[in-house]
Amino acid sequence: MTRFDAIVIGAGVNGLVAAALLARRGKKVCLLEGARQTGGMAALRPGEGPALAHLVHNLSPAVRRDLGLGRDWPFALTPLATVALAEDGRHVVVDGPNAGLADGTAHPFAAAHAALTERLTRYGALLRNMAETAPPGGGVTGIAMMRQGLRFARTGLSLRAMGKPEMRRFLQVLLSNAYDLILDEMSDGPLAGLWTADAVRGAALGPRSPGTVFSLIYRMGHGGIAARPEGGMEAVIAALEEAGRKAGCTLRTDTRVARILTEGDRVTGVATEAGEILSAPVVLSSAAPLTTARLTGLDHFDIEATRRLRNLRSRGTVAKVNLKLARAPALPGVDLASARMVFAPSAEYVETAFNPSKYGEMSEAPVIEAVMPDPGAASPWLSLLVQYAPADLDGGWTAAARDRLAGIATQTLARALPDLPGLVTSAEVMTPDQIGAATGAPGGHWHQAELTFDQMLTLRPGNGMGHYAFGPSGLYLCGAATHPGGDVMGLSGRNAALRALEDRA
Amino acid sequence: MSVMTDPKVGLIPGPVHDRLAALSRSQAWYGWAGYVAPSHLDSMEFEYFALRNQASLFDVSPMHKYRITGPGALAMLNRMVTRDVAKLRAGRVGYTLWCDEEGMVIDDGTLFRLGEDDWRLCCQEPMLDWLMEAAWGFDATVTDESHDIAGLSLQGPCAFAILEAAALDVGHLKPFDLAEIEPGLTVSRTGFTGDLGYELWTAWDAVPALWDRLWEAGRHHGLRAIGYDALNLARIEAGFLTAGVDFQPVLSVERLHRGLTPFELNLGHMVHFDKGHFNGRRALIRARNTPRSLLMRLDVEGFKPAPGALIYHRKKREIGHVSSGIWSPTAKSNIALAHVRMPYAAQRPANLWAEIYTLEEGRWATRMVRLTPVKGPFFAPPRAKATPPARL
Repeated sequence: MTRFDAIVIGAGVNGLVAAALLARRGKKVCLLEGARQTGGMAALRPGEGPALAHLVHNLSPAVRRDLGLGRDWPFALTPLATVALAEDGRHVVVDGPNAGLADGTAHPFAAAHAALTERLTRYGALLRNMAETAPPGGGVTGIAMMRQGLRFARTGLSLRAMGKPEMRRFLQVLLSNAYDLILDEMSDGPLAGLWTADAVRGAALGPRSPGTVFSLIYRMGHGGIAARPEGGMEAVIAALEEAGRKAGCTLRTDTRVARILTEGDRVTGVATEAGEILSAPVVLSSAAPLTTARLTGLDHFDIEATRRLRNLRSRGTVAKVNLKLARAPALPGVDLASARMVFAPSAEYVETAFNPSKYGEMSEAPVIEAVMPDPGAASPWLSLLVQYAPADLDGGWTAAARDRLAGIATQTLARALPDLPGLVTSAEVMTPDQIGAATGAPGGHWHQAELTFDQMLTLRPGNGMGHYAFGPSGLYLCGAATHPGGDVMGLSGRNAALRALEDRA
Repeated sequence: MSVMTDPKVGLIPGPVHDRLAALSRSQAWYGWAGYVAPSHLDSMEFEYFALRNQASLFDVSPMHKYRITGPGALAMLNRMVTRDVAKLRAGRVGYTLWCDEEGMVIDDGTLFRLGEDDWRLCCQEPMLDWLMEAAWGFDATVTDESHDIAGLSLQGPCAFAILEAAALDVGHLKPFDLAEIEPGLTVSRTGFTGDLGYELWTAWDAVPALWDRLWEAGRHHGLRAIGYDALNLARIEAGFLTAGVDFQPVLSVERLHRGLTPFELNLGHMVHFDKGHFNGRRALIRARNTPRSLLMRLDVEGFKPAPGALIYHRKKREIGHVSSGIWSPTAKSNIALAHVRMPYAAQRPANLWAEIYTLEEGRWATRMVRLTPVKGPFFAPPRAKATPPARL
């Protein structure tokens, strides 16, 4: 069978969501994945160890609802407390609005932390409302337009409902930098370091870069809680895959798309690299926008569109390092089984870590997020996200450079976990260039395009392309480069699928 | 008026500036793309009548000229311009437009297909950055030839006879044909006058010799060097548009909504929707049946030219303006190119009026004059199209 109602390219989180949603709405859907396995970047594994994404922050309930997955995800989500590691052993344990020291004593800025959490979560809820819908405009009509209008009216009303002084504060900080915002509330230290590290995670930005308050608030959309999916990212992917299968979606892995076919400015299907033609009037691509344009043929796109796509900033800065340990390291007062460790001893440290990446160098003292997915195991993995390790490293990411990165990561963590170096039995490293090569995400960036103001909402991925429809009629972008972005949210895929359905209605 | 031609001041001499300077009695110069160019050398009227009755020579070297080569040049150009240039054979020239993504005209120009994968685009606006953008991702190379290739425009009923006298055999060239007549000298039967005429293209430093050769051959045919003012009369009579005057090139405007679609410029026939995608196509499909205004050719009552005049419906509602207006010596009428808002532009009988200011012995007055729509060019002599052309 080679005729479908819709073809989805790429079985990453967004592709899986888009395909399952379309299938649930009665469409005959074919989901094509070039790799052997599904899951895209989130499930990508550097080797034997844990996958690239080890936690979820923002997995959207709207996605779960639309995929018919019931009231709860079919896998357990363990909310993790965060431990802001300190070199002097005075680690800070943060659990939502509560911040205290690991030895059980109070943190001097506990009240400031609680107030900031409450405030940013409130702002986050506002932005979430926007994330869960397509950006405004875009020529939708009828009921869809009314629904869109209502959503934005609601956002506007909740903005007004905050009251004038609070709204003024919101608009005042929205465009500013995380560094100033955080240090207005507390003095510098591991707690401030943690806040700023979370503001820039995954970005080619430092805490002093403008717009980092926005990305912080964005991440607080669901309360800023980091949760560990039990069974790893594989469980998340399996659940999304199962939702698609149940709805009758055809999944084909190991099938690379060579071309997106068009006729008279309408999409007619795709040709695979094996030479097979699959036809469908609708194609959703979770590949990067420029990759999608190339698959379709650049002559199907306006000159301005290709210019904007070429200038899309997407420079990955995060490397994945998995350390195999002889046993779990000791961290007095902290239950490693339910902790996300962050090494970012101060906001100043995070900004300093960012500096070398501007010049194509890796941080000598990077910001690290560490999670132990299975602390009970005999020789557990310690899963690290190491930032900044720029995709365009001077001299390239040679084996020696990767080894050096693993060494730097281990030595950096040893500043807070002194027994760690002795426990490491082996290391796996995956740098942004490898992530890019394996997934097609430009620069190995986990949003496929930097999440900054000029690349957001209707400007994501570019002016005139902010409503998922892309070039010829029937072609849609559904990857992380579209609104609202990556981060294992699934909303880009969902919004794109809904848009495609509206257009066909 | 005289100008400094010192490059330090800004304007630089064109390739035949010393010839022009020697001929200039009026010393009326203007800046054209950075070059010193003549508004007129003697008087506009002399030069205009030479153009229409004998022959005229005009230096078009300051035009922007871009070479586009490579196996992907056709695909790249067809994605950029609105007409289907696949239908343009090698050895042919086509007038064409190109639009931005919103379907607003960026510029117009002539596209020369010099060979299968070898093209030259001549236009009024600097276009290198746009062409580079347009060529990105295509197997095509864009070269700015503006300062390497010079051009002379020989226009008028005696143009063919002069070329023959100069031992240049162009008798076989039909309108919009081009050929390399001698090594390094390409002649196209094109021009901006609506008359019989040719444009001769050669290397920048070869053009003074070419000028002398034509000048010598034209001695007995009343050949006259002309400036832009005479050319401007001829192009308005032919109904041709000037960028920056009759439309605003959309990439260089600062205000919103100053762009116009090809349909609003009455150039819908230059838009070929059936050729596949081209820049602005999707926007133009939406815009094609809803022009906001139309470019009209108008006959203006009376004899006072009406450039810049506001146009009124029933003498009351302001609905447009004249972008080019002259007294046409050949058509013996007062003519204008004008932008008129819809639906008034399409209403027949038209009820259009222009407000004209008159100055009579120190007293200004306004007058409403009737405007009558004219179909086709104001002046289109059969000699422009005859092949072989007449030897006058």
